[in-house]
Amino acid sequence: MSAVLALLVDVCDAARVLGVHAEARHVETRDEALAVRNGEVSEVATDIAAGIGIRVRVGGGWGFAATREVSQAGVEAALTRAIAVARAQPVGVAGPFAELAHEPARGHWAGPCEVDPFALSLEERLAHLHAAEAALRTTTDDRLVVTTAHTRSRRTRTALATTDGAACTQERVETGAGIQAVAADGDETQVRSYPMSHDGDVLLAGWELVTSLDLVGNAPRVAQEAIELLSAPVCPEGVRDIVLHGEQLALQVHESIGHALELDRILLGEASYAGTSWVGADALRRSGTLTYGSEHLHVIADATLPAALGSFGWDDEGVAARRVPLIEEGVLLSALSNRQSAAEVGLAESGGCARADGFARQPIVRMTNVSLEPGSAGTLGDLLADTEDGLYLETNRSWSIDDRRLQFQFATEVAREIRGGELGRLYRNPSYAGVTPEFWGAMDAVCSASEWRPWSFTNCGKGEPGQVMAVSHGTAPARFRGVQVGVA
Amino acid sequence: MTGVLELGARALGLAAGCGDVQITVTRERSLLSRFARSVPTQATAVDDTSVSILVVRDGHTGSVETNDLSDDGLRAAASRAAAAALAAAQAAGGPGEHPGLPSPGEAGTPSSHEGFDAATADLDPAVGGAALATAFAITAEHDLEAFGIWTAGRVETAITTTTGLRVADDVTDAYLKVIARDARARSGWGAAAAVGIDGLDADSVTRQAVARVARVDPVALAPGAYDVVLEPDAVGSLLDMLGGLAFDGLAHAEGRSALTDRLESVVAAPCVTVTDAPLMVPGLPRAFDADGVTKGPLTLLDAGVARAVVHDRRSAARAGGDAVSTGHALAPGGSPYGARPTNLVLAGGSATGVDELIAGVERGLYVTRLWYLNVVHERSTTLTGTTRDGTFLIEDGRITKPVRDVRFTDSALGILERTQALTAATSLVCEADFYGRRAAHGCVVPALRASGLRVTGQTTG
Repeated sequence: MSAVLALLVDVCDAARVLGVHAEARHVETRDEALAVRNGEVSEVATDIAAGIGIRVRVGGGWGFAATREVSQAGVEAALTRAIAVARAQPVGVAGPFAELAHEPARGHWAGPCEVDPFALSLEERLAHLHAAEAALRTTTDDRLVVTTAHTRSRRTRTALATTDGAACTQERVETGAGIQAVAADGDETQVRSYPMSHDGDVLLAGWELVTSLDLVGNAPRVAQEAIELLSAPVCPEGVRDIVLHGEQLALQVHESIGHALELDRILLGEASYAGTSWVGADALRRSGTLTYGSEHLHVIADATLPAALGSFGWDDEGVAARRVPLIEEGVLLSALSNRQSAAEVGLAESGGCARADGFARQPIVRMTNVSLEPGSAGTLGDLLADTEDGLYLETNRSWSIDDRRLQFQFATEVAREIRGGELGRLYRNPSYAGVTPEFWGAMDAVCSASEWRPWSFTNCGKGEPGQVMAVSHGTAPARFRGVQVGVA
Repeated sequence: MTGVLELGARALGLAAGCGDVQITVTRERSLLSRFARSVPTQATAVDDTSVSILVVRDGHTGSVETNDLSDDGLRAAASRAAAAALAAAQAAGGPGEHPGLPSPGEAGTPSSHEGFDAATADLDPAVGGAALATAFAITAEHDLEAFGIWTAGRVETAITTTTGLRVADDVTDAYLKVIARDARARSGWGAAAAVGIDGLDADSVTRQAVARVARVDPVALAPGAYDVVLEPDAVGSLLDMLGGLAFDGLAHAEGRSALTDRLESVVAAPCVTVTDAPLMVPGLPRAFDADGVTKGPLTLLDAGVARAVVHDRRSAARAGGDAVSTGHALAPGGSPYGARPTNLVLAGGSATGVDELIAGVERGLYVTRLWYLNVVHERSTTLTGTTRDGTFLIEDGRITKPVRDVRFTDSALGILERTQALTAATSLVCEADFYGRRAAHGCVVPALRASGLRVTGQTTG
């Protein structure tokens, strides 16, 4: 057992003597961001943080204290502070807390990483970005105003001990990269990104992911499309059949299924900030009674999905990673839960979704990898060929959804007309809007497993104080009938 | 502040030989108590100190931030930052655009301000507990439940540089929000932000939230253009988004800003004057930016005319000409994403209160707050978002019934262009969503009335 884990076990032992439930986590992160922008290295930044967070439950109340003092004195002071904070709260009704259904978390888990990005020289990684960014500028068109190539790597080492016997360690390396071109002319600004917007393609992986992306090869197309969009017609308003590319569909899953099925939201625990859910707790107590979408909608929360950002060995309450069907054939079966919320609705055990952002935040219900299972519509080409008239939307640009996760509006970087089963002209500023169960009810085809892959988002915000979490969603392109488009 | 300055000096000493170095020390101590259904749910205490080391070499930067404050830890961080700057310089093969660290003369002398409150700095969790108890009791009187947070924090910052800069700031902030909610999911909003805990009146905030809970079910509203009265929380959300969209000097220099080719032009109604006022109270004063450059008031929109964008040292160098840092660096060395104002003030007008604004609307909306704003189109400052926790229909100059939350898609500058009247009274509004290191910021704004808000959808159920 490492010295840090022993320290955590000791402080949990001390808490047990006081009759206090405690979870002690040591988290050490190293985050490195590199970027080349308009021919110049714009960012070489490293963020290193380490510390201990202790969460306690005292007579039904909760307290959490975080400190960077990784020492006997530091953890003892944090335990004392956490208890004091818990006791300062007005007395409430002690809520239930699910017992661990399995053996306490013990051992070590590590995510996949073939080529450690932190072992590579800065020069090698910057050279890769320089080549990609230069390839964006192969055009001499002066309407191209910003070109960027970026990469990000994060290593997280966690140790966890709890008063109910957990004593485990984990290590994850996240790596990703992307390129982006911004074109401006008159009152118009357009952007194109590859492989996706947000932070680019990010997975539990090493530098091998970056070299597999062929940023250089894709750069000229990305720059050219940004320029083409400046003079493309605006996406017309109307009701159309749409085919969503996998990345945009992943964000749609994230916002209108993943968040809506977080059990703390359903139980109103997030009403002060992130919001609630259109799904009521009764729908979970009487599983199988709520129709979420069409018969093509199969959704699974899977914390064991290889290389995905929502994967781990144990969650931050010591619950082992698991695969939980959420929706089958459009019917709601389950939700994303931690030990507290699971107990509140009478579930036998936690869904293993307690995750915390660094050492200074406490675990809350977060998505694991909530994925739309592949269908049988074949390849993207097959799906487009099967679509007589519609729009193909690609690469997220804007997103917004109400606090019950019902009414949403998304915009993508680009849309292409589908006419007679073939892709046609480009449209700029495309957008679509809908209402969650109606939208998923209109999904009539999902591409097959050959088109399915995880797409990642590293910027999911929730909680107070705010927590940022990284998660992946497996999707294949899918078609939706009769969707309102051109709303923005 | 002695402690953070001493730590800054120690770190600077340990970075000797690394070249041009800026040390930024940030110490956060904070409390946050969260509640739902009138029960405390999460209570968080944070005590953390981090040191950021920025090295500038031939106009290129490398940076490392660490909370390992040991000599070995700081020395290693400095070496890593120096290696990063060297790698950036070598990769570029020529001078970079960073103009170098400011001298004390260039940075200016930080102004004193009233952004610190000693009682708040004590961080007594019992104060938060009492606020929660008040919120629970008042909502219970009305058969409602309370949701929200109480939080207080102290953040000390020190910057030391090899150019001789040595400045420190010590600020506190406090925030309370209460959402009162009934069994039919009808909710109302109340909030207060201040430098100190004495500025949070739990009784008043809770009663405001209770008063905004509709007593009858809301009605539907068709998409279209509606005159609107926005409460300060809604105005603050719009102004905060506009801060990044319109006033970022880097975007302006690159020709992709909402104010590109529009400086000295009319972009808003004559009643609209926006300044960045970093020393003003009420407000959350800050003495200097992340480059150590002194902050001061700056007029951005003057009676509807666009006057300025904001810069850090790097974006000013990119802009060239007579552009200089206006004290708006968001990160040491300047954020690669640009600069933005953090203390926006929309000047009040002449309306005696919200009732007067409402009285001027024949048929329109009264909006308490906005939610999930996101940019649809940068150049036109088009945003989308929804209303939340209190949306009402105005008919013939008075509020008549609650309305289901609506989605709007409209230009933030356009709303200011169509602004007809503002209340004389202003208040500090703050989102208090503290991601990463606590960095409280807010806007001081009045309520306003504007014509033609573009409603594009509505929530259901």
